[in-house]
Amino acid sequence: MSSTAASEPPASAPAGGPAQQRSAPRNAAVPALDLIKRFLTAREGSIVVVTVVLTLYFAFSLPASSNFVTVANFQNLLPYFAPYAILAAGEVFLMINAEIDLSVGGVYLFTPLMFYEFWNGGIPLLPSVILAIGVACVIGLVNGFIVAVLNVNSFIATLGTLFTASGLTLIVSHAEQLTTPGATVTSNTSGNHITTFASVFGAGIYSELIWALVIVIALQVALTRTRWGLHTVAIGSNRIAAAEAGVKVRWVLIRNFVVCAACAGLVGILESVRTDSISPDPGSATQLLLFAIAAAVIGGTLLAGGSGTVVGAMIGALFLGVLQDGLAIKGVNADYLDFYLGLAILLAMAANVYVGRVRRRSGVG
Amino acid sequence: MLRVAHIAKSFGPVTALRDVSLHLKKGEVLGLLGDNGAGKSTLIKTICGFQKQDSGEMWLKGEPYEPRSVAHARSLGVDVVYQDLALIDELSVYQNMFLCREQRVTGLPFLDRRKMKKETREALDEIGIHLPRLDVPVARLSGGQRQSIAVARGVYSEADILLLDEPLAAMGAKEGAMILDLIARLKAEGKLSMIMILHNYVHVLESCDRVNMIVDGVITFDKPSAETSLAELTELVVDEYRRARSAAQAEEAAEAAQAAASPPE
Repeated sequence: MSSTAASEPPASAPAGGPAQQRSAPRNAAVPALDLIKRFLTAREGSIVVVTVVLTLYFAFSLPASSNFVTVANFQNLLPYFAPYAILAAGEVFLMINAEIDLSVGGVYLFTPLMFYEFWNGGIPLLPSVILAIGVACVIGLVNGFIVAVLNVNSFIATLGTLFTASGLTLIVSHAEQLTTPGATVTSNTSGNHITTFASVFGAGIYSELIWALVIVIALQVALTRTRWGLHTVAIGSNRIAAAEAGVKVRWVLIRNFVVCAACAGLVGILESVRTDSISPDPGSATQLLLFAIAAAVIGGTLLAGGSGTVVGAMIGALFLGVLQDGLAIKGVNADYLDFYLGLAILLAMAANVYVGRVRRRSGVG
Repeated sequence: MLRVAHIAKSFGPVTALRDVSLHLKKGEVLGLLGDNGAGKSTLIKTICGFQKQDSGEMWLKGEPYEPRSVAHARSLGVDVVYQDLALIDELSVYQNMFLCREQRVTGLPFLDRRKMKKETREALDEIGIHLPRLDVPVARLSGGQRQSIAVARGVYSEADILLLDEPLAAMGAKEGAMILDLIARLKAEGKLSMIMILHNYVHVLESCDRVNMIVDGVITFDKPSAETSLAELTELVVDEYRRARSAAQAEEAAEAAQAAASPPE
């Protein structure tokens, strides 16, 4: 006992110090290790590593002729990444609140239909988009009101609005596919042309990626650098204490539901412009919704609330994209996808629990 | 400074405050005693704007005082340190210190972390609390450290009236003494008036100018600390306990009598 105590730092070491004490540079390799440890225990660290490993795996296991590591393939992958990243960004705010929004699937379907209806009613393209996203915000407002004011569990409340919005989409569209306004490709002698509107709202190759990056960065900054983000974390961590300190709990919750719905509405419009069709397909919307939540969870956001990261969710979405794309190129039966996805979620959860424990022990902030 | 008149508050069938009247002078420290469930915390939460009374009125600095929310009360100069600490585990020391009073970079919506950390450091130094890092989540701190942060938060809120609900809960003797020292120093400065819920009568007599006791939602005792003693306070509580017990026994007997009077059908 006394011999080990002698080699330990003095007992008066300040609390939170042990991590630094242990990693004091005994040799040159230790600071680097400390850095690696810090990186791995950062919320986003583990998912970055996993995504890189997955990418390397596909890069080396696929024959060079499969063109996995090419710009063209990256472009192929984008539709499997950007929509999830945007949806997950909004969802993260609610998951940090210890709430969830299932209605994003319904909003995703309903918003492009509203866009079509506004346009059909004689409103120009851009104002139609803005109005349609306004409708999405109203659905978010309804969610927020039911959860924050009527105190209904968000899972149930948004399950209700999910079906309501999906159902409305089917009723209004008569379950028929529509052609997205403004997205038509016109051909002439010099090749195919898409309008500026279409290239901004999803049809441009990098359009969805740019939207995703802008939204993720904006929401990550909002989460970590603004009062809104701080109060979001406070509510998720300890709702009563937050209210007692003066946080306007209802207002923050409603705002987050609106942001989440706006993200979902935007994704709906981007996807409908990209595919040049508005398809009222609740099945695909539910799939999208679950993938978005999966991206957030894999990226390190807990359903328990109090912690989460928008950037992590984006990398979680990238992971999903790489996984889908890689498996497709590998020629693996598509049936395997869900299986791997399931394993990924379970592993991410285990990693989160473990990393959380390491963080607490070592005092990494 | 603050006057509370005939405040009543019920939660459904439970009456927490029946008819409470008290006053607080400028620079005074008022000690609030009472059993668990007597209504002390309810009174504090009413004064600080967290909940609204069912009836009764309050005056602050001669004006009618009707706080709409905790933030509103704070803007009027009334701040509170809760019993349940009201710290957010996931947030760091300085984020907790400034929760709902966040400092922002001038002209921008972004938080000024450096300024908040600096001011937190100064505030904690002044009280004599030494934390190596201010950006660790408070979940990692000891109960006493957390309580000191909660008290420091209240003290540095530029309030005129500070309500403290058991400021020494969860504290070791040494940390408790530190907080009492701080309270004594603030009292000496004379700028801050305080209402403090305490359980330890020695602390009450030492730190407070005046003592009020609340029993079953009514203030039953009001004396300057100098005119009362440990023996008197203890006697009061013992009396109260005896009365409560005999009341409970009487109720039990009445119920038994009633049960006997109406035989089962």
